[in-house]
Amino acid sequence: MNDTGNSTNKHLDEITLLLYVERQLDRASAQEVSLHTQTCERCLTLLRALDRESRLLTRSMLEQDEPLPARLAEFHAQARKSMQWIWGLVFGMALLGIYSLYTVYIEPWEQQFEQAGFGGTNLLSLLVFQGAFWKGWQSMFTLVEFVALTSFAAFAFFLVRKYLKRGTALAVMFASMSLLMMTAASTPAQSVKIDTDMKGQKLEVKKDEVLRKDLYFAGSQLRIDGTVDGDVYAFAQEVDVSGHVTGDVICFARSARITGQVDGNVRSFTNNVTISGTVAKSVTTMNEDTRLDSAGKVGHNFSAFSQIVTVDGKVGRDVLVMFNEATISGTIEGNMKAKGESLTIASGAQIGGEAKFEGEKPADVSSGATLASPLQFTKIEHKSRTERGVGHYIWRVVWAGAWILLGLVLISLMPGFARETVESAERYGASFGLGVLVFFGVAIASLIACITIVGLLVGISTFFLWLVALFSSYVVVGAVVGCWILGKSTDFWPAVGRMALGVIIVVVATGLPHVGGWIMFGVWLWGMGAISLALYRRLQPMIAPNIPSMPAGPISTPLPPNTTVSPA
Amino acid sequence: MEPLRPGHTSVPGKTEPLDLIAQARAGDTQAWGDLYREFAPAIFRFCRRALPSKEDAEDATMEIFMKLRDKLAQYDTSRSFSAWLYKVAANHCWDILRRRKARHEKDMDDVDDIPLEAPEPNQLERLIEERTSEEVRKALDKLGARARMALVMRYYSDMSYDEIADALGVRRPFVGVVLLRARHELRQALGENTALAMGGTR
Repeated sequence: MNDTGNSTNKHLDEITLLLYVERQLDRASAQEVSLHTQTCERCLTLLRALDRESRLLTRSMLEQDEPLPARLAEFHAQARKSMQWIWGLVFGMALLGIYSLYTVYIEPWEQQFEQAGFGGTNLLSLLVFQGAFWKGWQSMFTLVEFVALTSFAAFAFFLVRKYLKRGTALAVMFASMSLLMMTAASTPAQSVKIDTDMKGQKLEVKKDEVLRKDLYFAGSQLRIDGTVDGDVYAFAQEVDVSGHVTGDVICFARSARITGQVDGNVRSFTNNVTISGTVAKSVTTMNEDTRLDSAGKVGHNFSAFSQIVTVDGKVGRDVLVMFNEATISGTIEGNMKAKGESLTIASGAQIGGEAKFEGEKPADVSSGATLASPLQFTKIEHKSRTERGVGHYIWRVVWAGAWILLGLVLISLMPGFARETVESAERYGASFGLGVLVFFGVAIASLIACITIVGLLVGISTFFLWLVALFSSYVVVGAVVGCWILGKSTDFWPAVGRMALGVIIVVVATGLPHVGGWIMFGVWLWGMGAISLALYRRLQPMIAPNIPSMPAGPISTPLPPNTTVSPA
Repeated sequence: MEPLRPGHTSVPGKTEPLDLIAQARAGDTQAWGDLYREFAPAIFRFCRRALPSKEDAEDATMEIFMKLRDKLAQYDTSRSFSAWLYKVAANHCWDILRRRKARHEKDMDDVDDIPLEAPEPNQLERLIEERTSEEVRKALDKLGARARMALVMRYYSDMSYDEIADALGVRRPFVGVVLLRARHELRQALGENTALAMGGTR
């Protein structure tokens, strides 16, 4: 405790008096102050002033000068509204994703296939909506109709949601989904009633047997020596068609062998496929080993994406092959387009149209081969990662810009969620752990859902949500990195600036040679985990609705001073 | 009966909402609603006093309650819930203010060691006499972050010197100095537009 002035005019300093008022002095010092203020008018006045100042401060602070803002009173509702934004955005981005996927991947493939003679059949409809997989869907649903129907249902649900209680809403949702699935499943399946659906370890259609419906088989071995008047769908270890199939043969098998006659197409996703019979239409295979034997005939096109491709038989139209090693020794009446490591055109081979090969080294063309026009060779240039062209860097800049734009939109539309996501990302262990789960688990789950007819809706939706999260992970990690560098900010533009800086750093880091790929993988896991964690926390029950805008809390009454000083 | 104080830890007759807390911990939505209803207004006013703008206070209040979901498991039920809640709120608000340090604040880290001149007691009395609660609240807006935070923690939520020292990251003996300097800043802000010349103002 300090006194100021001389012995006749000694005054206590202000801090001592304040500590006395605040009851922070020990007993001895407090007694000294008490004694002093009994005789010193100035110190007593200051002490009283400090005490009154304390009361004024407390009163000023505790006065209820403004009601609880509606935004806070309806905190829960606000959170739900922001979730609606999220779903709206997610749905919009899903549509964008579909469009991008179509234009970037499917359309070029479609053109390739069309060039290869698939005519009006495009890959999308082939794989998703065409009869080969889901017969009848095409007549009911195009992609646009499907999306439009889903959008309409979601919009209708959004409109009537306030009239529905939670339980009712869930019931309506599940009932609608069930109805949709039942419709989807039953309508196209009417013509393929499951009485011919054979499930078992082995199935044999004997030589004189005629099956006049489509055949679905899941088991270890399928052998068709007789006739199937319809399509064959097989999920088996071994598929052997030595009889006659009037429709298509679609098989997912370890080994497939076509020695008989198929009037339709053959689509094969197997370890190895050998065709030594006749396929009236086209063959599409994705295998390790694809072989068209010398006795094999393909009426239309032959497309193979395999490690080893051997074409020893006859192809009526075009050939499109991608491979490591290919040998052509048969007859191709149309064009040939080949891409791979090593191509041999052996003696006796005949190619009626153009022949193009894109590879690392020129094809080995035997003098005994007959080509309508010389083989056009294009060498594949392998640029090392360190020798990236200008285009690569331009695209990196474009991508960085796209991510920053996405981040800007996300932060402006969902500031609260954006902040929560960044906070979630700062929980590194939880984010990475959940990221691993989501990255692999959701992708696999959506794939599994997609390959079942009933789960198509769920599968595609889940997959696009997964893609959105993957895309957004750069923004999330960028925002965290920005905060590391510049500190956190809750204001809009500073937050955007930090995110932009972080995104640029992340884009540069992921572009580094050797480690860039690993960094990118880490960014995906981390970002996806953070988004999932934030979503999970949002979806947890939080605050009950109906919070009054002007509640009377425990501190609502004015405070009397509790710092009373007895100047004695 | 003694009126309740936000951070008061020993108010006779006041019981802690232990049942609500237990239910909220178990994920009971209704219990969360009740807890929120009971404490959100106080926390909002705390943030309103501590932070520069109403929007900041609203954001911070929501963030504090979001944080609360994670932190509730850490709450020691043998201690006052409101005191604990104010500690969470104070730490959150101080974090926000610290993040803005680079842009606005100059006095966030070290306790200023410029000596303060004691005020003229009568002038101080007159100043306090003439100022209203509203004027004090407006003057709070003109204070530095630490001064403002210290005053709010002490005179709004009744936090102890130890708790204030912990939240502000200063040593306990300096809390009195921080509060005194804050009062000087406040007096200066209050007397800025008047003819009152405070002897102890900087």
